Amino acid sequence: MKCLSIEQIYLYIGQEFSPAEKKEIKEHLASCSKCKNAFEERKLLVQAAESLPLWETPPQFTKQVMARIFSIKILPSAWIKAAAAALASVSVTLLIVFLATGQNLSTLLLGLNHSLWNYVRNILPFFVKLFKLASLLLGVLQQFTGYLSKAFSWLTALAIWQIQLTLSIIAIILIATLIYGIKRKILVGEKA
Amino acid sequence: MSSRDEDKRLIERTIKGEKEAFELIIRKYQRSLFNYIGRMVGERQLALEFTQEVFLKTYSSLRSYQPQYKFSTWLFKIASNFVIDFWRKKKIDAFSLDERQNSNSHISPLQVAANEKSIIRKFEISQLRTKVEGLLREIPAGLREVFIWRHINELSYEEIAEIKGIPVGTVKNRVFQAKELIRKLLEEKNEVPQH
Repeated sequence: MKCLSIEQIYLYIGQEFSPAEKKEIKEHLASCSKCKNAFEERKLLVQAAESLPLWETPPQFTKQVMARIFSIKILPSAWIKAAAAALASVSVTLLIVFLATGQNLSTLLLGLNHSLWNYVRNILPFFVKLFKLASLLLGVLQQFTGYLSKAFSWLTALAIWQIQLTLSIIAIILIATLIYGIKRKILVGEKA
Repeated sequence: MSSRDEDKRLIERTIKGEKEAFELIIRKYQRSLFNYIGRMVGERQLALEFTQEVFLKTYSSLRSYQPQYKFSTWLFKIASNFVIDFWRKKKIDAFSLDERQNSNSHISPLQVAANEKSIIRKFEISQLRTKVEGLLREIPAGLREVFIWRHINELSYEEIAEIKGIPVGTVKNRVFQAKELIRKLLEEKNEVPQH
């Protein structure tokens, strides 16, 4: 085992190692005078630190604190304070707007409500359409992949790999021709 | 009933209006709190005042106590913040101490020097206690604090980490640094002049 670091010596004194590690360190300390001296020094220091005399409070200390406690109240919890602060902030904001615009509170609230409703009314149809379209697309895609996987499993079950390869190449050519043909037709249509 | 459950019940009773239940909390923790604050500020009378103030602050904030944490760690957290606030108000730059801890100036050599002197064994244990008590005031507050919690209040490294909101490894390292710094100061102040 290598010589111990000072931190390891303190951790050993503080019983911070596993039994196996402790055994190894103990054996090292028995054979290394440098580490043993360092260990003895730190052990004494820790012993002195842990046996420092405790400071005692005067006998009437508890009564003195209790006498003061009887005159104070337990404060509300942090979240109640936060809610109160939020409410106060909203009130102050409304007051400032009222002072700046001259509108009374009910007009302000009606205006706020109206703007919020307009926003919901405009944005809601868009989300409904998007949802419908997405569900339709998903259905078509699901059906298509279903047919494709069925065809593929049928093909692999019946034909040898050379035929599978030939059929796959023919399918790719057909799809490519189809796409090319559609594109061309569209272009001709545009030119006309 | 475990100490933790006992504290929880005493707090519940206090919140319900039974102020006498808090007296039991004061009796239970006054000694450890006074020893922590006393050794942090170094003056007995001031420490007594501060200990009272920390109990009052704890009492008024009881509704903010979260029972998943140990009451003692919450109490020491309030005390630690109280001491820091006091130093800030007195314009004592207590938190440059933390910065200094992160610099290399206080980090002792990691390995035992080949020619390391035997300093501590020169003293009787009672002499050594007096020396350690005196030198404790000279080490940075951030190191002194963890040293007191670990060796005087006998808190675990995990509890100290919870109070300070720092990793356990950092706490272990700071406690180690505090002890090595005391040893270094002991060496410097008790060096026999060479003729």
